[in-house]
Amino acid sequence: MKQVVRYLPLLLLAIAWELAARFELVSTTALPPLSDVIRAWIDLLKDGDLVSNGLSSLYRAFAGLGLAILVGATLGIVMAWWKPANVLLSPLVEMFYPLPKSALIPVTVIWLGYGDGSKILLIFLGCMLPVTIGAFNGARSSEQALVWSARSMGANRLRMLWDVVVPSAMPEMLNGVRTALALSFILLVSSELIVAQKGFGYLIGSLGANGSYDAMYAVVLTVAFLGFAADRIYLVITKRTLAWRE
Amino acid sequence: MAAVRDASAVMAAPAQIVVDGVSHLYRPPRGRAVLALERVSLEVQNREFIALLGPSGCGKSTLLYLIGGFLPAETGAIRVDGNPVAGPGPDRGIVFQHFALFPWKTVRGNILYGLERQGMPREEREKRALDFIELVGLSGFEDSFPSQLSGGMRQRCAIARTLAFDPKILLMDEPFGALDAQTRGLMQSELLRIWQRTPKTVIFVTHDVQEAVYLADRVAVMSARPGRIKTIVDTKFDKTDPHVHKAKAFVEKVDELWDLVKDEALKAQGVRAP
Amino acid sequence: MARVTQIMPADAPGGLPEKAARLVYWLFGAFTRVFSIVLLLAAWEILARSGTFTHFQLPAFSEVVERIGSDAWSGDLWINTALTLYRALTAFAICAVFGVIIGMAMSRSAIANWFFDPIISVGFPMPKIAFLPVVILWLGVYDVSKITIIVIDAIFPVIAATVIAIQGVERELIWSARNMGANNRELLTQIVLPAASPQIMTGLQVALPLSLIVAVVAEMLMGGYGLGGAMMTASRFANSTGVFAGIVEIAVVGYCLVKVMALIRRRLLIWHQESNEPTTA
Repeated sequence: MKQVVRYLPLLLLAIAWELAARFELVSTTALPPLSDVIRAWIDLLKDGDLVSNGLSSLYRAFAGLGLAILVGATLGIVMAWWKPANVLLSPLVEMFYPLPKSALIPVTVIWLGYGDGSKILLIFLGCMLPVTIGAFNGARSSEQALVWSARSMGANRLRMLWDVVVPSAMPEMLNGVRTALALSFILLVSSELIVAQKGFGYLIGSLGANGSYDAMYAVVLTVAFLGFAADRIYLVITKRTLAWRE
Repeated sequence: MAAVRDASAVMAAPAQIVVDGVSHLYRPPRGRAVLALERVSLEVQNREFIALLGPSGCGKSTLLYLIGGFLPAETGAIRVDGNPVAGPGPDRGIVFQHFALFPWKTVRGNILYGLERQGMPREEREKRALDFIELVGLSGFEDSFPSQLSGGMRQRCAIARTLAFDPKILLMDEPFGALDAQTRGLMQSELLRIWQRTPKTVIFVTHDVQEAVYLADRVAVMSARPGRIKTIVDTKFDKTDPHVHKAKAFVEKVDELWDLVKDEALKAQGVRAP
Repeated sequence: MARVTQIMPADAPGGLPEKAARLVYWLFGAFTRVFSIVLLLAAWEILARSGTFTHFQLPAFSEVVERIGSDAWSGDLWINTALTLYRALTAFAICAVFGVIIGMAMSRSAIANWFFDPIISVGFPMPKIAFLPVVILWLGVYDVSKITIIVIDAIFPVIAATVIAIQGVERELIWSARNMGANNRELLTQIVLPAASPQIMTGLQVALPLSLIVAVVAEMLMGGYGLGGAMMTASRFANSTGVFAGIVEIAVVGYCLVKVMALIRRRLLIWHQESNEPTTA
């Protein structure tokens, strides 16, 4: 009941949308009624377009993001742990971090063409730095007292990296991953809108070009919902993972 | 010897502050409501220095906030000069444990703020701010930001800020609780010095027995949750005597109060008193 | 910007006069900062000239610089940069003003909070860039729709930061101000907003790079002038030197914006002890 009251404004917006379109307060080309959009969504689901394009989008997003987390986290922890790596890499991190990642879209296309490869590379490059910086800051802030007490208990350097530094890097790194998750969806959709032969973005573009706006709206809402759901699921998982922090 | 009076004893002169049968239910955002204060009655005379002493969580700060008008009194009544308290007002100035200075304003800016709100003319308030900066010994730090000051200096600034708008009543919420022991000792004598120069009614919340006996004319001992006033003890000593700490009467008074507070502190920790 | 700290030599050499020691210290710091960037650019140049990659895949850095130079000479560079900045910064300004206003309204009024809270909490994590075709459908392909999609994307961090910041303002600060006779309006403008400003600033520092990311995407998709549009045109004509020039230009613009923002933060929040910059994009 509480949840219903909480999300009531969204329901009201949906009803307002339906009514505005039904009574043609706005052009139905610009805003098809919500019920039509839902019908179009079911059709898309039935003829398989949504699923096939969706799967290829999700594959790209998670492949790119997975690589970014793996490489980004390793890089961040190595930079915090080994000073020469920090000296060499931190100016590069500082230089590339503010780069608007969408500028890489045409380059990844030049390198790897129109298919999966360029999308995965784009998401990998775009999502890596937030993870790196999170892991770096987290590992740097691992308490000196913890390191000392681990050392006094006879842990060697490598052992300590695994037992002390990595766990204390975890919370900030997971925050970085959350940023990366949001970024991965943005980059995925942008690159697919601009150049692609399949995927959510491609589907949105081609439906829009055909003038089937109700179906276009259906796909747009699906992508938006998936981004939202991914974030919520991620939050639930991290809350479990970080249960040791009270 | 020990002048222990009943909390409900009626005072002779008409009191400046009257707390009459006040209870307060604390409702945390999550979890069960807790009875923080239960039928507390207290009278404070004009220009009296009274300390509220008790273990942490006994509601002594809550009582202070109620008198300040920051929290609404739901049961019972609080009157200041015969008028019921309806909200915060510049007649009751408050000093918090963690200073509550405006971090984006300098020492001068912090002190000026209250004077501006009172509508004091520019020249007058500039002069008054400088006077109070001098009074608390912060000359030379007028244009420092709070983040550039030590804890003791921050609290001096907070006290100056409150004194500057000239409240009749000074409410102090463990003002020296966040300071180290040496600074705390210095600030105590400093406060007495200032109080003698600008006499005001002071209600001083603390959990430090020695501090309460040293500073206050009377000490109200509060019980563990739900907070009640257990007894009120007279603690008038010659505060100008630098060796008052060592006087036999003083030490005995501290012992007496410590015995009263100890049981409550144990109770507050969940330990059954022996 | 990233809170990536530089490694400096542990001790300046003793015995030297302090000034000279400081100069050595500074030079070493500057050297380590530039060293790896120079290394990267050199590797780019050598790799491009070695023929490992085709000219199309990787034009030499020197050619890219030349191209940027000729763009600057012809004036295209300045027009494109100005247009992109105009779109991104106009949208950013709208986000800053309305984001803070909505955030303030949400923390002042239960009704505003009831209405906006679910929209923010559902809308924030959504990839709102997906609404770009819808915005084009509604508003066309000109500046209005570009600015609109940027606002849709970048306003959420500002609202969220404002709400959290205002919730986090200490009760004692507000009580102190009330005690001194501040009324509701004074409380909001003179106490709550300044006290919340460090965190609001952090939200703005997230929104600014986001504005630029979306501006570039919108320009790529809708074409026309602007840094993103120019890159797309170059890419259509298989002019990879132009594409790489675009990346360098956008990178420089992004870097400058972020640095300027950090500078403004340090200036405005001079009173704030740890004017730490946010660590997320």
